[in-house]
Amino acid sequence: MEAVANEVQKTVREKRPFTLLTILKNRWFLYAVSMVFFFWLWDFVGERRILGSSLARPHEVLIQLADMVTNPLAGKSLFGHIWASTQRILIGFVIASVVAVPLGLLMALNPYINAVVKPVFDLLKPMPPIAWISISILWFGIGEASKVFIIIIGTFVPCLLNSYNGVRLIEPELYDVVRMLGGNRRQEIINVCFPASFPAIFAGLQISLSIAWTCVLAAELVSARSGLGFVIILGMNLARPALIVGGMVVIAVVAWLTTLLVTALEKLVCPWKREIEGM
Amino acid sequence: MSVKESGVVSQEKGQDGYKIVCERISKEFIQKGTQRVHVLEDISVAVRKNEFVVILGPGQSGKTTLLRIIAGLEIPTTGRVLLDGREVTGPGPDRGLVFQGYMLFPWKTVMGNVEIGPKLRGVPKKERREIAARYIKLVGLDGFENHYPHQLSGGMKQRVGIARAYVNSPEVMLLDEPFGQLDAQTRYYMEKETVRIWETERRTVIFVTNNIDEAIYLGDRIITLQGKLPGRMHAVYEVDLPRPREHTDMKFLELRHIITEASELTL
Amino acid sequence: MAYEEVKVKKPLALRLLPIASLVFFLGTWQLIVDFEVLPSSMLASPWQVIQLFVVKLTEANPDGAVLARHAWTSIQEAFTGYILSLIVGIPLGLFMGWFVVAEGLARPFFEMIRPIPPIAWIPLTIFWFGIGLAGKVFIIWIAGIVPCVINSYVGVRMTNPTLIQMARTYGATDWQIFTQICIPSALPMVFGALQIALAYCWTNLVGAELLAADTGLGFLITMGRRLARPDMVVLGMISVGLTGAFIGVIIDRVEKRLLAGIRR
Ligand SMILES: Nc1ncnc2c1ncn2[C@@H]1O[C@H](COP(=O)(O)OP(=O)(O)OP(=O)(O)O)[C@@H](O)[C@H]1O
Ligand SMILES: [Mg+2]
Repeated sequence: MEAVANEVQKTVREKRPFTLLTILKNRWFLYAVSMVFFFWLWDFVGERRILGSSLARPHEVLIQLADMVTNPLAGKSLFGHIWASTQRILIGFVIASVVAVPLGLLMALNPYINAVVKPVFDLLKPMPPIAWISISILWFGIGEASKVFIIIIGTFVPCLLNSYNGVRLIEPELYDVVRMLGGNRRQEIINVCFPASFPAIFAGLQISLSIAWTCVLAAELVSARSGLGFVIILGMNLARPALIVGGMVVIAVVAWLTTLLVTALEKLVCPWKREIEGM
Repeated sequence: MSVKESGVVSQEKGQDGYKIVCERISKEFIQKGTQRVHVLEDISVAVRKNEFVVILGPGQSGKTTLLRIIAGLEIPTTGRVLLDGREVTGPGPDRGLVFQGYMLFPWKTVMGNVEIGPKLRGVPKKERREIAARYIKLVGLDGFENHYPHQLSGGMKQRVGIARAYVNSPEVMLLDEPFGQLDAQTRYYMEKETVRIWETERRTVIFVTNNIDEAIYLGDRIITLQGKLPGRMHAVYEVDLPRPREHTDMKFLELRHIITEASELTL
Repeated sequence: MAYEEVKVKKPLALRLLPIASLVFFLGTWQLIVDFEVLPSSMLASPWQVIQLFVVKLTEANPDGAVLARHAWTSIQEAFTGYILSLIVGIPLGLFMGWFVVAEGLARPFFEMIRPIPPIAWIPLTIFWFGIGLAGKVFIIWIAGIVPCVINSYVGVRMTNPTLIQMARTYGATDWQIFTQICIPSALPMVFGALQIALAYCWTNLVGAELLAADTGLGFLITMGRRLARPDMVVLGMISVGLTGAFIGVIIDRVEKRLLAGIRR
């Protein structure tokens, strides 16, 4: 009986009439409502000065950003600042991943290398990368080098950990497949280790990227002459809220775009990976 | 009765003419760093050339371990395995192993998974594609060459595994419960296919299963393992029923009854 | 017997190498400073750091507080923000995972806030809250809430659909399914968020203290730089690392307890 009842219920559901409730419960409609509410709330708080004069209204931010495209701020246009931050991230990120990913693979493949590197790595790992800012300024001054150094420190850990774990978590029988078919150790590594650890390595790159953004901002907030962190700290020093919020918006957009880029790259390199629904 | 029960193969019979000989193999594992597990005890098997031998045993009786030892993936604690009279020291392309858990490379397509064997031997691309395509067709997967394993059903994955093992034309095929996760119909079909392939491509086959019907349907000889660890040989049955065999054949059922009675295996 | 206990030892080299490696690391560090390969204005030796550590246990100058007070301030800020982010983030993520309306309304907010590194909020929080506790708690809260929401959301989303259908055939309401099936099956993911969120919180706390603070371990590091005292910087870094690791261990314990409690 129950099964029949369910059948009926199902068909009833499928033929549900198009009512107001269906619109109200539509995901995209809700998204739109939420967005509108977000900007309205922002504007309202800005207009009524609920948080003092510190929150710029959305259109003020837009005007500020448009202005920065044409009128350089501290010698650089908006795109100049974006590039300054992105460039630091790129350099640090590339250096870190070029060293850390192979090192992680080596550590996973060779117990002796692991025994040498792991203790030192474990010793340094719990220190948040931002804690290195001061020492990096002592070492490299306040120029580019110190910022790149922080990014290297920050991205090194997830790159290494993920490639290390990526290899260690490989199903050992996959190696047996290659051995059974007459492959030697080198072929095992090329045919199993590398491809099997790709997804983990990419996950590490994603994490690294978000850490890199945190690091570059922190470094620029502490001391810089250019970059998006510099833009918002300048806004603070000049008491220009539109500059602060504008800087944050740009950071959000650029950080989001870089994430998309890595995701696209991953899809290209690992087409076999099934997508997990959600975020 | 056409069924005779022969005891454990003893060594005195001589090793000449046998393709594979396992001499008094036993195996111990160290688990979690501190626990020693005795998995196999005193296993002696001799397999003739082109013979279809089935190893039948319940779960956790060391079947996979025995097969892996014959494959050369594990080293026996005592005893040794001879292949054509030479001691086995490691895995090699002269034996093909079909893994219990498929073990396909998720990052390779069906074609990529099957052609890996010739690729490792350095066969040029065009040639190995041809060979691989032939075996993909043999297991009935033509049309799925460019699918990734996650797009295949369990039975299809298993067939890729079989094609991958066959593609090197190994003299010995080792199959580890290859049909364990298939539905009854596909399973029956695959059993028939296995016999067909075996009859066209004459090989020595060692086939591991926990299913009595499958064992009788396929094997020239059935070796039963005892259920509790350490796994020991229980009995050896010669099956001289004519092929193609019928599950409902009187002699089939008779043998089934005998094996069921003699072992702890029920059903 | 098939099973028996045995003792297996790692090769001697593998047991000695980690120790040798650490000794070498610390030794080189000490020697670099002793022989002034790097000027003493750039790096302090381990021994100098230990000496300063002993001094800072009781001496408040030159940065205005003893070590324990710095650590306590940081822990206080971190925990307040952390707990708040758990309290808000986990239920939010769970609701977003199951209720269409919650997802529809909260997701755009979340997605717009998410890409902004928490550090970027510092200037605004200084305007809003000054450099006291509240501003830093806000930043830590923002940092911690992201993994909480994501993990709880994904946890609910990954609930085995068969279980949900099963419950539906028994006539369970949406709310019953949510509380009886989705939340329990999301719990492992939710617990996973505890550690991740903690790590985020701790990292961003240090960032917040570098810029807007008058006590705290991050402030200690900044003061070390301002006073050109590398021993102070390194002491601050090590304290941050140790305290973070220590809190991590505690959370891990709590997590295991909770999980064990739930399994029962
Ligand atoms: N590499 C290994 N290390 C430690 N223990 C092992 C290893 N391989 C197998 N074992 C142990 O050996 C025992 C037998 O395992 P095996 O896989 O050979 O059984 P099986 O007969 O194939 O079982 P099933 O029918 O479930 O496949 C198990 O208890 C297992 O824990
Ligand atoms: Mg098995």
